[in-house]
Parts: sequence; structure tokens; C-alpha cells
Amino acid sequence: MTRKQPQLYVDIRRRFPHLTLAIQLQVGAEILVLFGPSGAGKTQTLQAIAGLMTPDEGQIILDQTIFFQRRPGLPSINLPPRRRRVGYVFQHYALFPHMTALENVAFPTGNDAQGRRQAYELLERMNLAHLAHRKPHELSGGQQQRVAIARALATESPILLLDEAFSALDQPVRDQLHADLRTLQAERGLVVIYVTHNLDDAFAVGQRIAILREGQIEQIGTLDAVCRFPANTRVARMLGLSNMIKGQVVAVELNRLWLDWNGVRIEATCPSPAPTVGSQVTAFVRSEEIRLVYPDRPLTRFVDHNLLSGRIVERRPGRRLYHIWVEVGTTMIEIAHPYTAYTGLDTSIGQVVQIGFRPESVVIIPEAGRLITTQQPVAQPISEYRR
Amino acid sequence: MNWSAFWLSLQVAAVATVCIISIGLPLALWLARTNFPGQTILETILMLPLILPPSVVGYYLLLALGRGSPLVEWFHIRLLFSWPAAVVAAVVVGLPLMIQSSRAALANVDPRLEQAARTLGAGELRILMQITLPLARRGIIAGIVLGAARALGEFGATLMVTGNIPGRTQTLPIAIYDAVQAQRYQDANLMVLVMTAIAFVGLWWVRRLERSPEAVTPLSEVLQNDQEATAIVR
Repeated sequence: MTRKQPQLYVDIRRRFPHLTLAIQLQVGAEILVLFGPSGAGKTQTLQAIAGLMTPDEGQIILDQTIFFQRRPGLPSINLPPRRRRVGYVFQHYALFPHMTALENVAFPTGNDAQGRRQAYELLERMNLAHLAHRKPHELSGGQQQRVAIARALATESPILLLDEAFSALDQPVRDQLHADLRTLQAERGLVVIYVTHNLDDAFAVGQRIAILREGQIEQIGTLDAVCRFPANTRVARMLGLSNMIKGQVVAVELNRLWLDWNGVRIEATCPSPAPTVGSQVTAFVRSEEIRLVYPDRPLTRFVDHNLLSGRIVERRPGRRLYHIWVEVGTTMIEIAHPYTAYTGLDTSIGQVVQIGFRPESVVIIPEAGRLITTQQPVAQPISEYRR
Repeated sequence: MNWSAFWLSLQVAAVATVCIISIGLPLALWLARTNFPGQTILETILMLPLILPPSVVGYYLLLALGRGSPLVEWFHIRLLFSWPAAVVAAVVVGLPLMIQSSRAALANVDPRLEQAARTLGAGELRILMQITLPLARRGIIAGIVLGAARALGEFGATLMVTGNIPGRTQTLPIAIYDAVQAQRYQDANLMVLVMTAIAFVGLWWVRRLERSPEAVTPLSEVLQNDQEATAIVR
């Protein structure tokens, strides 16, 4: 299927009693994750795109079609949802309970012979053809959500919006649906916006991620870029980065930077633009990149820069990694390591250990707050954030 | 058995049921979907005939249909002491049951389903006909059956606005009263049996509708485990 790459442009503002939504997005044929805590405005953003909620001002444009426009000097446009016909998948499926799976999928295509055939093909694509004549209450949650996706695809819209769509499902089903969603997106060149408050889900499907907080985008970029270079401490915390240290820049040299952290010298890679010497910065050290040092072995390149000493105060098995908390000075440092690592080391509580980490593992947070200011509406579509 | 009263009762009940549906359904939809000041007062007034003594309802109807009412003075429509007056009485007492039941059913339809239908390209009329009404149909049918049964059994107000003219305005409940007054107990027994049978079948049907296993499951109950799905996707 060769189709022109669809482009969705969103720039909206809407005041709610407890939230001011100010969102700017440009989404192509990709999966963009809208990530943030509940109440951050994720669902409202999707509703605005689908036409279920009307912003106070702004523009929503899909390719040449203006879905919504309310700007001084421009004609007001507000297409009703039925004329936007975007694929929308709800958290609790919202299948019509009195219709079979096939009738549900045929709802947008029409219930004539051709519409039903088209609907059946979509069910086949979602591996559900054998369940076409079941009613929703005769299907499992995962099957219902597949029907809901098939029904959303039946609108033939290039846009697919998923609102916490898989959050009620068990992990194995969710993993499978995430894989299917990635395939579907690539196969059909869809603009997919995936709303979630679950970090694991965000990483499972996303190509780019937009981090929302209190109605605004804190940062938008590829998963890799956002993880490597969080725009601010809030983003870093939302991404689950632990081990925050605050220090003063004491030296900057080429791509290296030295911090003074409570009298300890920390070496880090220098972000650009480089912070000035003497300024206070916040940094995070990824817990899974901190190593324990065997006292009787030579230092590896992983740990020959930042060597600290501390006392183990807590240890707990995690889902994937084992977690140890080490008190360094007055700060608690979290270390995550593979289950079978450090078997030759005594890591019981109370032990004094040496820890080390590479300069690359230190994430320096820029001082300026948001990387993208969403305070003022921009005239031109924003270009993708590049680092 | 007074057959003319039986057929008149059916005729009155049938016409009244048509009126109850055509007035009650839009009213129920409106009450279920909007909020306006004074809504509670309007709803209370609509429910009043359920608990007011039939003589009070009858008296109001006499005022509304009798000499000096706008109906008579402006439109020259005289309904009193004819069978259409019995229809009016039946509608007034049957409507509250219809509205109460169907309004609750319509309010229970998950608004997300209607939103989903909108995103799938459906207009409001299609949503009403294919989503909202079908999903509320049990409550609506129950309301219609209850309203119709109540219309069929209406006695007090009817007696006041139609009188008791055998063959012209004497409905079955009035004929029963008449038979008992005249000590024609055999006649009364049969008619009482017929009324009871009709009421029983109506109520039994409503109960069955409510208990039907196919009844629409609320979304929260739809959430089930997904073990089956993992088996299927492979």
C-alpha cells in the first residue's frame, strides 16, 4: 500500500477548571506515545482530535483537511466527529453490546454486503474471523480490544487514537497487542497516538514520546533522546530515573565536566550547551549503570572514574533486576544489578562497599525548564526536537 | 361476561398505549439527556398521578376537559362522557410508569458508546435508532407494558370523566363495579379473572425481560480475564 505519508498537526488551548490544556504536536506516520500522570490532559488531547471536545482556540489539521480552526483572522471551522471519522479505541473497548463482533466492525463500513466483507477482512487481519458472530460479552478482554481496533480501522482513517486502550489487559495479552499495533502501524502507515500512564507500555510501542504534565508537553522526542537527555528534573522523575544528585560545576573540558557533589568529585559527559563553571546543576545516575567494585580485582573501565564508598542499607529483589540501596554520605543511591551478578561479594545489609559508574551514566539536566515552550501559539508547525 | 365492555377496554387501552409511547418516549429521552432548572418539579408533577387518589386525578381531568376549559372554549372539542375521555384518563395514569422505566433505561446507556458511534461516523439519528434505543429497549418495553396494563385497569378517574354508559363508555373495570353493585357475581367473577390474567401475563413478561440472561451487561462487568485471548493470538 503506497500512500502519501499522513501528517497530523495539533495546536490547541483549552481552559478547564483545574487544568489549562496547551498542546502542540506534529505527528507523522509513527507511533507517538502521550505519557503522563492522570489528569495531565492526555485524554482531552485525543478527544479534541476526534472532535469529542472543542478547544477554546487553535488548529487541528490532518493533511489538507482542517478538523478544527479557531484563530483570530482565520475562518472558524469545527468538523463534527462523524465527519472527522478518526479511529478511536477506548479503554473499556466501548463495543456495542447488542451487536456481534462483525456488526460492530461493520458499523462504520455499512451493513451491506460490501461493508460486511470489508469488516470480515479486518476481523481476519486481527485473527478474529472465527469469533465474528459472537457478542462482546462472549469475548475475552483482549479479543474485545482486537474487535475495537478492527472497528477503528474500519473508518479507513489514517489516524488511530488509543486511550489507555490496553491498560485493563493482562501483561501477555498486552505484549501481543503492542506487537500487533506496531505491525499495523507499519503496514498501513498510520498516525498512531497512544495514550498511557504506564511507562512500560510507553516503551513497548512508542517511537516518539511526548511527556505531558498539567496540560502541557514537558518534552517531546524519540524515546532514546528523551531518556538520554531529559529536559528537566520532572521529566527525569517521570521517566523513573533515580539517584538525583545536585552539585556545582567545577571544571569543563572538551566533552568532560566535573561536579562537586558534597565534596565528592563526579566526572560526567558534558551536555551541550555546556553549563558554566560555578553553576549549580542537577544530575541523575542510572541505577542499572552503577557497579559494585570487587576490592580484590583490578578496576574495569566501567568504574575507573567515579568511585564512591557507602554502606548497604537495604536490598530487595525486583521484577527484572535486584535492587540495593547504598548510603553514600547522607544520600541514598539505588543500584540495580542482574540477579546473578556479584555472587562473590557480600552484599548483606550493613556492609561497606565501593561503587563506581562511568561519566556517560551521569545525566545532566539542563537548567532551562521546558525544551519546547508551549506558552505562546506558534504560527509555524513545530519541528521535531533534535538534540 | 360483558363483551362490549371488554372490547371497549381493549380499544381504550390500545389507543392510550399509542399515546403513552409517542408522548412518553420523547419525554423520557429529553429528561434523561438534559438538565434544566425545575426538572425535578416537572418530574414530580409527571409522577403525581401514580399516588394521587383517582378521584383527584378525575377531578383535574373534569376541569381540563369540561365546560370552561380551553379545549372546549377555543377548540370546541367535547370529550367528557365519551370513550376518548377514558383514553385521556388512561394516558395520564399510564404515562408515569412509562416515563419512569424508560428514562432510567435511557440514562443507563453508557455515553461512551454514543461517543464511539460518533467517531465511527454515525449521525445523531442513527445513534438513537441503532445504539441508544436498542440498548434501552428492555426498560422501554417494560415501561410500555406497565403503562398499557395500567391504562387497561384504569377505573376511578375514568368513572368520573366518562360516567357509566353501558355499550358506550362502560369499560371492563367499571362493568365489574356495576356487576358487583347489581349482585351479578358470576358476571363479576369472570371479568375479574380476565383482568387478573391480563395483568399477570403483562407483569410476568416484564419480570422475564429484566431477568433475561441476554440482558445488556454494563461495561464494568464486561471486563473479564484474557486467558482465552492469549491462546487465540498464536
